[in-house]
Amino acid sequence: MKSLTIALLIFVLSLVAVETTLSQMKLNGAGATFPYVIYSKWFDVYSQKSGVQFNYQSIGSGGGIKQTIEGTVDFGATDGPMSDDQLKQAKEKQGTDVLHIPTVMGAVVVTYNLPSAGKDLRLSPDVLAGIFLGQIRKWNDAKITAINPGKSLPDQSILVAHRSDGSGTTSIFTDYLNKVSKTWALNVGKGTSVNWPAGLGGKGNEGVAGLVKQSDGAIGYVELAYAVKNNIAYALLQNREGVFVEATYESVSAAAAGAIKNMPEDLRVSITNAEGKNSYPISGFTWLLIYKNMKDKSKAQEISKFLTWSMGEGQSYAKDLFYAPLPQGVVKLCEKKIHSIVTQ
Amino acid sequence: MRMPNSKRYYWRKSKNIVMTVLCLLSVLIAVIPLFLIFSYALSQGIGALNLDFFTKMPKPVGESGGGMANALVGTAILIGLGSLFGLPISIFTGIYLAEYGENPFAKTVRFLTDVLSGIPSIVVGVVAYIMVVLPMKQFSAFAGGVALGILMIPTATRTTEEMIRLVPHSFREAALALGIPRWRVTLRIVLPTALKGITTGILLAIARAAGETAPLLFTALGNRFWSTDIGHPIASLTVFIYDYAKAPFEDWNRQAWAAAFVLIFFIFIINLIFRFVTRGRYAGNGH
Repeated sequence: MKSLTIALLIFVLSLVAVETTLSQMKLNGAGATFPYVIYSKWFDVYSQKSGVQFNYQSIGSGGGIKQTIEGTVDFGATDGPMSDDQLKQAKEKQGTDVLHIPTVMGAVVVTYNLPSAGKDLRLSPDVLAGIFLGQIRKWNDAKITAINPGKSLPDQSILVAHRSDGSGTTSIFTDYLNKVSKTWALNVGKGTSVNWPAGLGGKGNEGVAGLVKQSDGAIGYVELAYAVKNNIAYALLQNREGVFVEATYESVSAAAAGAIKNMPEDLRVSITNAEGKNSYPISGFTWLLIYKNMKDKSKAQEISKFLTWSMGEGQSYAKDLFYAPLPQGVVKLCEKKIHSIVTQ
Repeated sequence: MRMPNSKRYYWRKSKNIVMTVLCLLSVLIAVIPLFLIFSYALSQGIGALNLDFFTKMPKPVGESGGGMANALVGTAILIGLGSLFGLPISIFTGIYLAEYGENPFAKTVRFLTDVLSGIPSIVVGVVAYIMVVLPMKQFSAFAGGVALGILMIPTATRTTEEMIRLVPHSFREAALALGIPRWRVTLRIVLPTALKGITTGILLAIARAAGETAPLLFTALGNRFWSTDIGHPIASLTVFIYDYAKAPFEDWNRQAWAAAFVLIFFIFIINLIFRFVTRGRYAGNGH
């Protein structure tokens, strides 16, 4: 027993010893779950390239913002921008501004399980809000058939599936409904979790995807990657210009391009229901939260170097992992922001 | 020799058989979930279970291979730290409660320990976050160890107490009658006799700590790189399972199952080792 303990102790101590001799630059970050896959790819590639370790943990957007305010991480990440109040808190506690740097984009798609309707069901903002408000209850409702000529829609009840947990996906989805439907804005509102007027809850993207996949006549919303990976049909959505658009990398990037004109200086912007003929309406940025003036300048230099890399080579990894790359216009704005990080 | 009253005899005999079968059935039903979890985790994770899983570092989605070497070591370090913080307190408290525990203070401690065991683990994580992470301005393995240590306390304390209580009073009396001081009786007679039970308690505590995710999310955080520095975030199997199981990528899902299987197996093995170590000691004495 005793010798076993001692052997274990020596083992652990030797590991610690090895560790300290190989001291490297290490940065810690935490936040949004949605970009975890591409961030883990980026940080893996980047550490092999530069030897700098960025440890990113997906604790959720809310957690990322909180840790950025508390200063327990070197950088944060979120799918929904920080509020003015949160930025003020961060400034008070950390003595520096927090910058929002968009990294990639994603889309939320409306998935449905209706074998008789086949692919490419069309939905308008009105109809979508009506369904999720519980006002449109049947698949053969006149409002749905009117925009889907030539499709045979059954006399079947619609089963609405939504997230039961708080999530950035819900945040983007309800932000959209909030913009396009007055009734929705009045009765439900937007946020990471809302009081759903209709439907069943599933936990996580996989929960909602599962509900839709298993129930005939179901409709739900998930991140694009989940719909593609699980092979579930998703609807074409009518955008602001009246065009029915499929969610693709191009149509998501187009939404960002459409939003550039009205891009605020701090890059905190919602791009749901964006302008442009090809824009997919339920798109969103995901941001890294960076301290403008870090105490540890060597860390600030590494972060700035990494961000510059992510805007160039980094973007090329996006499509394979089901994210949409930033359009050139946004990259330019980001680079300007990155230059404003104090590194000296 | 009297022949049994045959009717009565068979009635009793059949009652015995029925009850034995019922007991066996209950045992089976109790074991089936464990077996199901074990076999399901194995069947789902077998594709990712190979030498690489134990020796390689995690790879991002889309690259084949890669393992969880850092998470295996991380979990071991976290459990080690947790035991270091939690077990001495638990064992001493257990001894106190069993040997000197008939006063209002001890009753309060006992009650509070029971309350502690009912507190959700995520709350313990938040406590460790506020006590350790916020002042240090850093997520760390140390903070994770503190959280796990707190979680180990109730199980380990109450089992230690129960096991020491089971040591027959005649042992203590015999020793005291020989003029051995009380501390020595506790140390040399009571503790060794109860050792097997206490080890089981420690084991339960370790098993509980090893399977925890929630308290680690906001303390040890997690790490995709190799790190054994207790002042830095550290990887753990449970946090990897949590992250990988949610992802829409099959190779990550498979690795999550493999990690789940390894975790269950790991707990199973610790169980065996401790059984082996404490085997036959004071057999036939005590309980």
